[in-house]
Amino acid sequence: MGEKRNALFTILLLSSIILILTVSDFIQGDRLFSETENRVLASKPEFTAEALFKGNYTQDFETYVTDQFVSRDKWIGIKTYMDMFLQKKEIGGVYLGADGYLIEQHLPEDYPKEQVDKKLELLEQLVERWDAKVMLVPTADNILTDKLPAYALYYDEAHLLEQVKERIGQENYVDVYAILQEHGQEEIYYRTDHHWTSLGAYYGYLAWAQEGQSLYYAPEDLEVAADDFLGTLHSKVNLDMPGESILYFPKTMSDSVKVTYDLQRVTDSCYEKSHLTTKNKYAFFLDDNHAFIEIETDCRNGKVLYVIKDSYANCFIPMLTPYYQKIYVMDLRYFKGRLFGFMEQYQPEEGMDVLVLYNCVHFLEQFMYMP
Amino acid sequence: MVFSSVIYLFRFFPLFFLLYYLVPGRMKNFILLLGSLFFYAWGEPVYVLLMLFSTIVDYTHGRLLERFHGKKGAKWILLSSVIINLSVLGFFKYTDFLIGTINSLAGTSLPLLNLPLPIGISFYTFQTMSYTIDVYRGEAKVQRNLLDFGVYVTMFPQLIAGPIVKYREVEERLHKRTANVFAINAGLKRFCIGLAKKVLLANNMGELWVLISKLNPGEISVLTAWLGVAAFAFQIYFDFSGYSDMAIGLGEMLGFRFPENFNYPYISASVTEFWRRWHISLGSWFREYVYIPLGGNRKGLPRQLLNILIVWMLTGIWHGAGWNFLLWGLWFAIALVLEKLFLGKLLSWLPRAVGIVYTLLIVLIGWVLFALETPQGLFQYLGVMMGAGELVDRQALYLGSQYVVLLCISVFASTPIFHMFVKALERSRTGIGIAFYRFGEKLIPAALLLLSIAGIVEASYNPFLYFRF
Repeated sequence: MGEKRNALFTILLLSSIILILTVSDFIQGDRLFSETENRVLASKPEFTAEALFKGNYTQDFETYVTDQFVSRDKWIGIKTYMDMFLQKKEIGGVYLGADGYLIEQHLPEDYPKEQVDKKLELLEQLVERWDAKVMLVPTADNILTDKLPAYALYYDEAHLLEQVKERIGQENYVDVYAILQEHGQEEIYYRTDHHWTSLGAYYGYLAWAQEGQSLYYAPEDLEVAADDFLGTLHSKVNLDMPGESILYFPKTMSDSVKVTYDLQRVTDSCYEKSHLTTKNKYAFFLDDNHAFIEIETDCRNGKVLYVIKDSYANCFIPMLTPYYQKIYVMDLRYFKGRLFGFMEQYQPEEGMDVLVLYNCVHFLEQFMYMP
Repeated sequence: MVFSSVIYLFRFFPLFFLLYYLVPGRMKNFILLLGSLFFYAWGEPVYVLLMLFSTIVDYTHGRLLERFHGKKGAKWILLSSVIINLSVLGFFKYTDFLIGTINSLAGTSLPLLNLPLPIGISFYTFQTMSYTIDVYRGEAKVQRNLLDFGVYVTMFPQLIAGPIVKYREVEERLHKRTANVFAINAGLKRFCIGLAKKVLLANNMGELWVLISKLNPGEISVLTAWLGVAAFAFQIYFDFSGYSDMAIGLGEMLGFRFPENFNYPYISASVTEFWRRWHISLGSWFREYVYIPLGGNRKGLPRQLLNILIVWMLTGIWHGAGWNFLLWGLWFAIALVLEKLFLGKLLSWLPRAVGIVYTLLIVLIGWVLFALETPQGLFQYLGVMMGAGELVDRQALYLGSQYVVLLCISVFASTPIFHMFVKALERSRTGIGIAFYRFGEKLIPAALLLLSIAGIVEASYNPFLYFRF
C-alpha cells in the first residue's frame, strides 16, 4: 500500500506542475508588447482553411502560445541562471563580462573581407565627393577587453580602422579608438546596453573637436536624466541587475533649438523626456531612430553640418549645437533614393561639413547607399 | 507537433490524457486514434491523408493474407504490400536524390520535385511492413478491427521518431490494456527525463555543433574539430534517445510496453556492440526482415559478409537520401566485417578500455560522415581531426571553456553510473537509502521538468534531428 501511495504522490506532483501551469496560462490574458524583451509579442493567428493548408497557421499558433506563455519573463530568467550555473559566459550573443558588464558579441567570421571591402569602397566615395570626416567608434568588446570572459572572441576593429585610415587619409579620419582606449577604465559604455554612454560620447567629442576649437563641456557638468536604465543587452539575458544612469550635458538642453523630425514633427529640444519613463530610455536622445532630422540652432554663424549616422550618434549630436547653425541628421537604413543628389539640396553655396558617425559594426552592417 | 513545445506540454498533453483516462475502456482506442491524428495533422495537415492511406492499404492486405493463408496467392499479396509501402517511402524520400544523381552523372537538368518529406514516414512504413510480413509468416494474427489497427499505425508517442514497434510486440495490448498507477508513475518520470535529455543536453550540444560546423574547416584547430564532433555525437544521442524515452514513457502511461531503443551506446567496446546498443529497434528490424531472410550467417562467410554490406548500405540510406549517408553505412559495414573476420577476436583479448576508445573513434568519424553533407567540407574536417592544422587556438579554448561543464555532464549521462546508483538505492533496504530514493525519484524529474520548461519557453534553438528520417 505504501508503494502505491508513493507512486500516486509522484504522479500528483508531476501532473500538478503541468496542470497548474496550463490553467494559469489559460487564465492569463495576452500581452501586446514585452518590455523586458523590448519586442512585440505574437498575437493569436486567425484560423482559416487557407492559413492551415497553405500558410503557417500551426506554426504561428505555436509562436503565439510560446510568446504568451504564463510568466514568460521568469522562465527566460531561469534559463539564463541555468546557463550561468553551467559556466556559460555568453548567452544569446551577449558576453557576461566582469564588473557587471554585458558586452555584445561580434564574431570575426560574421564580417567577411568582401563585406568590409564593399563598405570601405562606399566610404571612400563619400569622402572623396564631400570631404567628409569619418568617426567610427569601436564597440565595447574591443575596448573593455579586460572585462571580457577568458579567451572571448571578438572582431578586431583596430584592424578595420587601420584600413579605414589608409583608404580615406589621416586628415579625414577622427581617431576615437585611441581616446576611448585611454579612458577604458571609465564609464564609457553602458553595462546593460550596447551603446556608449554620454561620457564615452564626450571623449568622442574631444577627438572630433579640432585643435584651437573652443570646448563647451566638461565631464563634471554631466547631469542625471534617469537612473534606472536597463538596456537592450539586459533584455537578452534578463538577469537581475541594478539600473544605470542616463546622463546629459545641461547646456545642450538649455540652448534653444528647433528640431524637425522626418520633415513633420517639430519640437524645441534634442531630447524626448517621455521615453525616460519607458523601457527604451536611450530613446531620450533625439527621440530614438528617425530617417531624417533637421536641427536649427540660435548660433548665427551660417555653418551647416550633415551627419550620416547610426544610433551611437544620438547622444553625440546634441553636443554639436554650439558649432553649427543647421545640422541635418540622416539614417541610411530608411533612405532609398540617391544620396548625393539628396544631400546637394541641403548644401548652401559656401558648402557644408559632412560627418560619418557609426560604431564599427553598425558601419559594416548598416552603411549602404546609392551615390 | 513535437514533445518539447509549449503547445504539446500545456495543451495537447493534459487535455489528451484527461480525456483518455476519463472515457471507459472501449472508448480509449477511439480517443487515442483521434488524438494521434490531430497530433500528426498539426504538423502535416495534408500528409495525414498519406498516413491514413498506408493504414487502409496494410489493413486490407492483412485481411487478404488471412483469406489466402497457405495458398499461392499469399506471396503475391505480401509482395504487393511491400511494394506499395516501399514505393510510397521511395517516392517521397528518394526521388529527388535520384534525379539529382542522374542530373550530375548525365549532365541533364531534370527538375526536382521539391516535396517536403512527410514526418515520420520512414518509421511508420517500417512498422506497417512488419505487420504484413509477420501476418504472412504466421507470426502475428491478423487484425480485423480497423480501429485497433489504426491505433497501431498512428499512435502518437512513437509515430514520429520511433522506437520502431513491431506489430506483434503490441498486438495483445492494442485491444486490451490497462495502465495502473505504477505504470503511469514510471511513464511520467521517464517522459520528464527524456524531455530533459532533449532540451537541456541535446539542444545545448546542438548549439555548440552549429557554431563549429559554420566555421571554415580550413581555419579551425584540431581541438575545435574534436569539440565539434563530440558535440554532434552528444546532440544526436540525447536528441534521439531522449525522444525514445519520451515515447516509451508515454506508451507506459497509455498501458503499452514499447521496446527499448538505446542502451548506453557510447560505452561499447566494439562496433558490433555499439549497434546492439544504438537505435536497437531499427537494427532488429533490419536483422529480422532483411539480414536473416538474405541468409544471415547460414550460407557461409562470403555470403554473410555480403549480407552485412547490403544491410548497412540500406541502414545508411534509411537515415537520409544522400551520398554521405551511404558512405556512413559503408563505413560501419567495413568495421563490422573486419570485426567478424579478426578484429573482434583481437578486441576481446585486449582490455575493454582499448575497445571503447577504438569504437568511439570509428563512431565519431562516422558522425562526421553523417553530419557534413558536402564531400569537400567532410574530408577537410576529417583532415583537421587527424592533425592537419594548429593544435589549439583561442577559439577552441573559448568554446571549450563555454561548454566544459555541459560536456562533462553529457559524458556522465552517457554512462550507466547514475542508473546503477539509482538501482542500488532502490534495492537498498536501509531506511536512509529508501528515503533518499523516494525523495530523489520525485524531486529530480520535477526539477528536470521545470528546467526543461524554461529551456522550451526561451527556445532559441529546438530542432528534432530525426525529423529528417
